[in-house]
Amino acid sequence: MTRPRRSLFVKYFTTLFVAVVVPLLLGSATEAWFAFRDNRFDLDELLQVEARSAADRIQAFTDGIRDQLGWVVQFPWTQGEDDRRRIDGLRLLQQVPAIVSLSMVDPTGTERVFVSRVSMNRTGAGADMSADPAVVGARANRVWYGPVHYRHDSEPYMRIAVAGNRAAAGIVIADINLKLIWDIIARIKIGDTGHALIVDDTGRLVAHPDISLVLRSGAGAGDFNRLKSEVSAANGSAITTTGEDGMPVVALSVRAANLDWTVIAEQPVQEAYESIRAALWRSLILIGLGIVFAFVLAYWRACRMWGPIRQLEAGVERIGMGQLDHRISIQSRDELEQLAVRFNQMAEELAVSQQKSERINRLKQFLAPQVAELVEHSDQRLLDGHRREVVAIFGDLRGFTAFSARAEPDVIIAVLREYYEAIGAVTERHSATLIRFAGDGVMVLVNAPVACDDPAERGVRLAIDMQAAVQSLADSWNARGCAIGFGVGIAMGPATVGTLGWHGRLDYTAIGSVVNLASRLCGLAEDRQILVDPVVSGHAKGCIALASIGERTIKGYDRALEVFAVVRADAPMRRRTSPELDLVS
Amino acid sequence: MAWPVAAFAQDSAKVYRIFWVSIQSQPDPFLDGFREGLRARGYIEGKNLALELHFGNPHALREVVAELRRGNIDLAVSSGPATRALTEVKDIPVLFALSGDPVALGVVESLGQPGGNFTGSTFLSLELAGKRVELLKEVVPTLRRLAVFSNSNHPGEQSEWRATREAAAKLGIEPVYVPFAGPNALDAGLAAAGEARADALLVFPDVLTMVHRNKIAQFAIAHRLPSMFGWSEYCEAGGLLSYGANQRATYFWLATYADRILRGEKPANLPVMQPTKFELVVNLRTAEQLGIDLDKSSVLFRANRVIE
Repeated sequence: MTRPRRSLFVKYFTTLFVAVVVPLLLGSATEAWFAFRDNRFDLDELLQVEARSAADRIQAFTDGIRDQLGWVVQFPWTQGEDDRRRIDGLRLLQQVPAIVSLSMVDPTGTERVFVSRVSMNRTGAGADMSADPAVVGARANRVWYGPVHYRHDSEPYMRIAVAGNRAAAGIVIADINLKLIWDIIARIKIGDTGHALIVDDTGRLVAHPDISLVLRSGAGAGDFNRLKSEVSAANGSAITTTGEDGMPVVALSVRAANLDWTVIAEQPVQEAYESIRAALWRSLILIGLGIVFAFVLAYWRACRMWGPIRQLEAGVERIGMGQLDHRISIQSRDELEQLAVRFNQMAEELAVSQQKSERINRLKQFLAPQVAELVEHSDQRLLDGHRREVVAIFGDLRGFTAFSARAEPDVIIAVLREYYEAIGAVTERHSATLIRFAGDGVMVLVNAPVACDDPAERGVRLAIDMQAAVQSLADSWNARGCAIGFGVGIAMGPATVGTLGWHGRLDYTAIGSVVNLASRLCGLAEDRQILVDPVVSGHAKGCIALASIGERTIKGYDRALEVFAVVRADAPMRRRTSPELDLVS
Repeated sequence: MAWPVAAFAQDSAKVYRIFWVSIQSQPDPFLDGFREGLRARGYIEGKNLALELHFGNPHALREVVAELRRGNIDLAVSSGPATRALTEVKDIPVLFALSGDPVALGVVESLGQPGGNFTGSTFLSLELAGKRVELLKEVVPTLRRLAVFSNSNHPGEQSEWRATREAAAKLGIEPVYVPFAGPNALDAGLAAAGEARADALLVFPDVLTMVHRNKIAQFAIAHRLPSMFGWSEYCEAGGLLSYGANQRATYFWLATYADRILRGEKPANLPVMQPTKFELVVNLRTAEQLGIDLDKSSVLFRANRVIE
C-alpha cells in the first residue's frame, strides 16, 4: 500500500504550529513597533527638554553678563571720573567671575579704563577703539556679541559689548572666558551617558562636558560642524547620526537665540535604544519559547492524532488480510479509541461469522442448504455422534461399468455430472442428507441429523423422485446409445450418526446394519426398481403403494427378509414391456 | 634616591606605577593635592597604584630619566622645575604643573594641542607677574623699591623676572633682583633680600619657596616688608598678599589627567590646562603687624579670602 503523498501528520502538525506561531509573531511585532514608537517619542521629548534647558541657561548666562555690563554704562562720561569707573570695573570683575577683563570706552571711542584679572589695569586715555567691531556693533545694536576666539591657542573667549542708553554713556566691552559655561553643560546628563554640547555658527566647539575637547583651539571643528549641520537640518526633531567620537548617537539641536550658537543634546544610540532593545530581546525570547512550545505541542498533538490513525490503518490492513484475531489497542479516551473498539468488535464479528460460514459450507457438503442453516442455527450437537432411527437410501446406476469402459472420459464425466446434479437437486428438495457420491453410487440419509416427520414415507418419496429424475436422464443417455439404468434400496433402523474424518476432511456418516441393508437392497434392485425393507414398508404402506416381492436372503442376515417394491404409479410411462412386478425376480 | 611608598598589591588587578618627580623633598602640599585627586578617582596606593617619589636638584634628576626608561612606568608627574629634567623623556607620558610657559620650555607644541608625550597645567605666572606688582603697589602706594626673590633654577624664571621688571617700570618702581640657586642658597638669598633696602618683597611662586614659605613670610614680617606671593598657602603662612591660582585644586585636578592617561588617552590630545579662577588672599594680621591700613585701597573688596 503506498503512503499518502501528504500525510495527515504533516497537515495536522503544520496547522497546529502555524496556529500558535503566527498570532505570537503578529502580537510581538505589533508590540515591538508600538514600543519603538513610544520610545522614540520619549527620546525626542527628553532631548528637546535638555537642549532647551541648556539653551535657556546659556541665554541666562549671557543675559546676566549683559545686564551687569549695563550698570557700568548708565551715566554719561564726565571729566576726571576714570578712577571711579575703574572701581566700578573692579567691582564688576568681583561680581561676574566669567569676565576676565573690561574695557570702558568713552563716547569718542577712546578706551579710558581697562581692568583685568591677569593683565595690568590701565586708566586714562588709551587706544582709539572707534573702529573696533565691538564698538561699532554696540553702537548699532546696543548689545554686541563677538565671535568665539581661542586665547593661547586653547581657551575659548568671547567679547560682549554693551552701549549705554545714550551715546554719552559710552560703551563697555567685556572679555568673557567661555570655560565657565562648562559648569552649565557638564551638569546636563541625558540618561547615563548622554550629554549636551554647544557649537558656534562656524562649528567650533564652545562647550562640552569634556572640557579638554573645548581647549583644543577648534581642532576637530570639521566633525562638530558636520554634526551641527546634520542635526540642525532635522529642524528640532531627533535624528540618528555619528557623534563627535565616531559612535552612533541620537541627537537634537536647539538654537540659542542672539548668540548664533547651537545646543546639541545627544545620547548614544546604545543607551537611547537600550529599553527598546531589551524589549525586543524579551519579545524574541518569548517568540523563541513560543515556537519551541508550539513545536512540541503540535508534534505531541499530531502524534496523538496520527499514531492511533496509523494503528487503525495497520490493524485494518491486517484484518483485511484475514488476521481476524488481531486487535487494535488505542487508549486515547476519545473518538479514536471508540473507533478502535468498533473495529475490534467488527473483527470479532467477522471472525465469528467467518467460522459460521465455514461450518455451514462444510454442512452444505452433505446437507441441503436450508438444513445446513437449520443445523447451524439450532444445535451444533446434532452433528455429534449418537444413535438414532434413520432411513438410509442407496442408489446406483446399472450398466455404468460397461459404459465407462467404452465411453470417452469427457462423456463419462458429463454423464456423472448430470447424474450428480439430479440427485443433489432431489435430495435438496426433500431436505434429506446427501452422505456421499461414490462413482455411480449415492447414499442419502433421512431423519439425520435433522429429525423429520414420517421419515420412512419421506424417504420413499425421495427415492421415487430420484428414480424419476435419473430415469429421465437415462432416457436421454440411452437415446445416445448407452444402456444405463438406476436402482434404489431403502432401509430404516437405528444407526450411529455423526461427523467423522481427519484434518478438516470431515464427513457426516451413518454406521449400522440399516446402512448395509439399504446397500444390499440397492444391489438387489433392478433398473427403475425401488426396494424397501419391512420396517419402511411398515411405516409407509399406508400412503404409498408397496408390493412384497417375497423373501430374499441377504448377505449378513441369518434369515431371509421380506422385501417390498414401490408400485410405480407411472406405468404408462414405462418403456419396457415387462410389468413392474415382473422386475422383481 | 628612590623608595617605593607602597608595596605592590597581591591581587591580580593592574598596579599602575607613577613616578612623582620634584626638586623638593617632602612635605609637599602639591603631592598631597595630587594624592587626594587620585583617591577621589578610585586609585588606592598599595592596591592598584604605586606612587614612587623622586626628589633632587635638576641635575640629580637626570638619573631618574634613565630609571624611567628602564622601569615599567605608566606615568611620570613632575612638579615645577623638575619638568626641565624630564624634557628628554619621549616614550612615557609626563604630566607637569608649571608656573612658567610649557611652550617656551619646548615640551608642548601649543597649549591646545600638546602633540607629544607631555601635558599638564600651567599657572600663568608670567601673566600674573605684573598683576602682583600692581596689587602690591595698590596696598603700598609709597612703594619705590621692590625686592624680587627668585629661585634661579626655576624654568622660565627669567621670563617672569622680565615681566616683573616691565610692570615695575610702568608703575615707577625700581625692582631689585635677588636670585638664589636651589635650597642650599635660600638662606643666603634671604639675607641678600634683607639688605636690598627695599620697601616690599615679591616672591616668585616656586616649589622651593613654597616649602620654605613660613621662613620667608616670617623673614618679611621681621624686616617689615609687605610681601606678595603667588599662592594662598604663602598667605596662610604669614605672607601679606597672594594672587594666583589655587594650587591644591590644580594638583587635585591633575589627577584627572593622570586617570585619563592611565586609561589609555594620549597626552598629545589633552590640552594643557590653565587656571580659570585667581585667588586674591589678604592676611589682615600681617597687615596689622606691618601697620598697613588696607581700608584705603580697593584690595579688601576684591579679595577672595581674608585671613583675620
